[in-house]
Amino acid sequence: MALGRFLLKRGIQGVLVVWGVVTAVFLLRFITPGNPVTFVAPLDASAELRAQIAAELGLDQPLYVQYAEYILGLLQGNMGFSYLRGTEASTVVFARVPATVELAVAATVVAVVIAIPLGVISATRRREPADYGATLFSLVGISTPNFWLGIMLILVLSVQFDLFPTSRRPIGFVETFAFLVTFENGISVPMDVGAFLDGLRTWLWHIALPAVTLGTYFTALITRLTRSGMIEELGQPYVRAARAKGLPESLIQYKHALQNTLIPIVTVLGLQLGTLIGGAVITESVFSWPGLGTLVINSINVRDWPLIQGSLIVIGTGFVLINIFVDALYAYLNPRVAR
Amino acid sequence: MNRRTYLTYVGGTAAAVGVAGCTGNGGDGSDGGDGGDGSDGSDSGSDGSDGSDGEELPEPETREEHLQRANLRLNQRAPWVYLNRQYSVYGIASRLEWDARRDERIEAQAISVAEGDPSVTITQSSMDSGLDPHDHRETPTDNIVIQAYDGVLGRNADGDVIDALATDYERLEEGRVRFEIRDGVTFHNGDALQPSDVAYSINRVVDENVGGIASPQRDQLAGVTGAEVVDGGVEVISDGINPTVFSQFASYCKVVQEDWIESRESSAINSDMNGTGPFRVVEYEQDVQVVYEAYEDYWDGTPEVEDLTIQAASESSTRVSELLAGETDLIVNVPPQEVSRVRDEDTTAVTAVPSTRVVFNAMRYDVEPFSSPEFRQAMNYAIDLDSIIENILQGFADATGQPTLEGFVGDNEDVSPYPQDVEEAERLVEESGHAGAEITLETPVGRYLRDVQIAQAVASQINELSNVSCDVEQRDFASLAGEVTSGELENFPHFYLLGWGNTTFDASQTIIPLLTSDGALSSYREDEEVDELMAESQNLPGGS
Repeated sequence: MALGRFLLKRGIQGVLVVWGVVTAVFLLRFITPGNPVTFVAPLDASAELRAQIAAELGLDQPLYVQYAEYILGLLQGNMGFSYLRGTEASTVVFARVPATVELAVAATVVAVVIAIPLGVISATRRREPADYGATLFSLVGISTPNFWLGIMLILVLSVQFDLFPTSRRPIGFVETFAFLVTFENGISVPMDVGAFLDGLRTWLWHIALPAVTLGTYFTALITRLTRSGMIEELGQPYVRAARAKGLPESLIQYKHALQNTLIPIVTVLGLQLGTLIGGAVITESVFSWPGLGTLVINSINVRDWPLIQGSLIVIGTGFVLINIFVDALYAYLNPRVAR
Repeated sequence: MNRRTYLTYVGGTAAAVGVAGCTGNGGDGSDGGDGGDGSDGSDSGSDGSDGSDGEELPEPETREEHLQRANLRLNQRAPWVYLNRQYSVYGIASRLEWDARRDERIEAQAISVAEGDPSVTITQSSMDSGLDPHDHRETPTDNIVIQAYDGVLGRNADGDVIDALATDYERLEEGRVRFEIRDGVTFHNGDALQPSDVAYSINRVVDENVGGIASPQRDQLAGVTGAEVVDGGVEVISDGINPTVFSQFASYCKVVQEDWIESRESSAINSDMNGTGPFRVVEYEQDVQVVYEAYEDYWDGTPEVEDLTIQAASESSTRVSELLAGETDLIVNVPPQEVSRVRDEDTTAVTAVPSTRVVFNAMRYDVEPFSSPEFRQAMNYAIDLDSIIENILQGFADATGQPTLEGFVGDNEDVSPYPQDVEEAERLVEESGHAGAEITLETPVGRYLRDVQIAQAVASQINELSNVSCDVEQRDFASLAGEVTSGELENFPHFYLLGWGNTTFDASQTIIPLLTSDGALSSYREDEEVDELMAESQNLPGGS
């Protein structure tokens, strides 16, 4: 019951935060220099044509009218129409979501798979070469700008050694499953496992470098967190007691100490996932990855406000939902939080 | 009239500017070496008006002479710091043969496949803003649309007007031209092209009540008021003589099928194409790629390229890497610093062509110190264009000394770029009464090839003058363009870098919008002589 109330409270707070994001982004357009008509009309368009295009886009209306219309539209699930393309903003924005989520999740997986074992090794072999190696790796990882890393990976692994494609996302993760579950006129057609595996391989092959690029900073961060957490846990009395009891060292390290270390790491992972969704802009640009990041940047450059607003609303909502999920997880693990 | 004779008609500072421009080292070397009369430039001190000290120039008679005179005048009055003509630099797989076009368009039909698979992938900097051929103005969308849609007229790689869906065209009378429409042409849906489709397409661009859009191409068919079918041909009606009408139709107004457009919503027109062009759309993934196949019934023969894909990568380094890795065949805008990487590979090559874009620093005529022609001339003398082109643009540019580019109608061959002459620049600054001026050059970031580096070089060369100092302010293009397109001169920056593409190959389409009193983007609204020359030129036949 307490958990239900807690979630309701968080949900209402979340709605208010998203509304705040919508309002802030909407107001930003009025203090940001640059008129969208500049990009819809030719540079040398007559004042008459400009005025006509502005009227078509609804930009000639007073601020409060535009805001009210926008909020009313949002409540009906309508994010407006792209100034430049004329298509529904929601269609364009939601089409970009899978690519961004895939990249964020893949980067997180890369980080977890590499960082946790590395952190554990570093903590359990403190002041040994393995520890120095892991510490150096995390220092380099945190210090490396990902635009540079991405370009270097492309130059070395793609152009020089032809091991990975340089860029793009020819198939989405979910699309690969279409080969397994396909319906034609309501009748399922036989599954094509070969095509599914081919699709999955293509997807993996293309996402590998962007995921490593985006996940490197994160990997370094989690490595350091795991190391310091493990060192702290290994010094706890319960570890001494376990050792005194004669438990094998591997059991103490991986079952007891690591499990306790993971709690704060899971929290960071959850929050960082939200950051990755909103912060993959550079990686997406370098790898021509068709996600929300590139959409936001391209839309800002041409002042396509419906697309900017739509993207930021989706990113903001995603962030809020992840936070609520992490809060709920905390409340579940520690009921005192929900009181 | 040869160059020397022509210039003797010009007097005062104007002569100093013109002659010095011809004899100095600022040119591209194309104008020969008969510049021994450079000492004539010493008779300075006049007010700079044409003919005040020298003989009167003969009255221009033809349209081209009017445009050339305007260019000479604009060189002398220096409303811009004339910089460079930008090149279009492409990276291309060695297995392909292709002549780059001057108007920045990539027609895949012109690509030959010397070896390997007859499929070609083109990577440009961005994708389309929708597939409606009448509802855009930018080059990336053009490149996607022109594969599937034809115009009434077209252009060859050199920019000359050629027949397309029209087999013949003529001027019937002032304000009326006629196009004979090609027989046997079919749209990709199999329907035959009708003259009424051509008339509808033209009306859809110029008339907001036709076809459901206010076309941003309307001003590109300036003066055209409508079209109608007469005796099996299409007659286009203009307001006035409209000298550039054929040139306009060679660059704008693709032909659509009336029934196809009228039976569809905007979203459908923007996500599919039904033209008469050499390639038919097979797959359209918005923002990702457009896949085409050769249209076998194309009126000009089936293209050599059988499968065509156009995609985009905003980062130039990504485009170059894709080309080097063999993942694409043709890329746009290879940055100068990447040229050697592409050129050094056996499987790739670089091809470059002078584009239709001129890059300049505009100076507002109504604010000090730029209100002084002497000061504006001084800014031109301060610049070492050769150094900028060689060191910043790696040679992929031509120096300019007038708003109109070489090869355009109205280009004045007797006008050369200003040479760098620091002493003359300092003297002119003193003469202008603005010694000690502090100016700021505002430049967009990443809009034009190496724009910031060019602006920084310009500022540093101006700083070499002992009596002027210059800073650079980097601006977001959207905000800079917003000020320049506001129509109100007081909103314009005082001194700013801009580029201007003119695909009609006619001087009027640069000078009128940018350098006349009524020009929408004009920073120079005080020159009655230029205004008159341009107004007269628009009432004379003789467009490109």
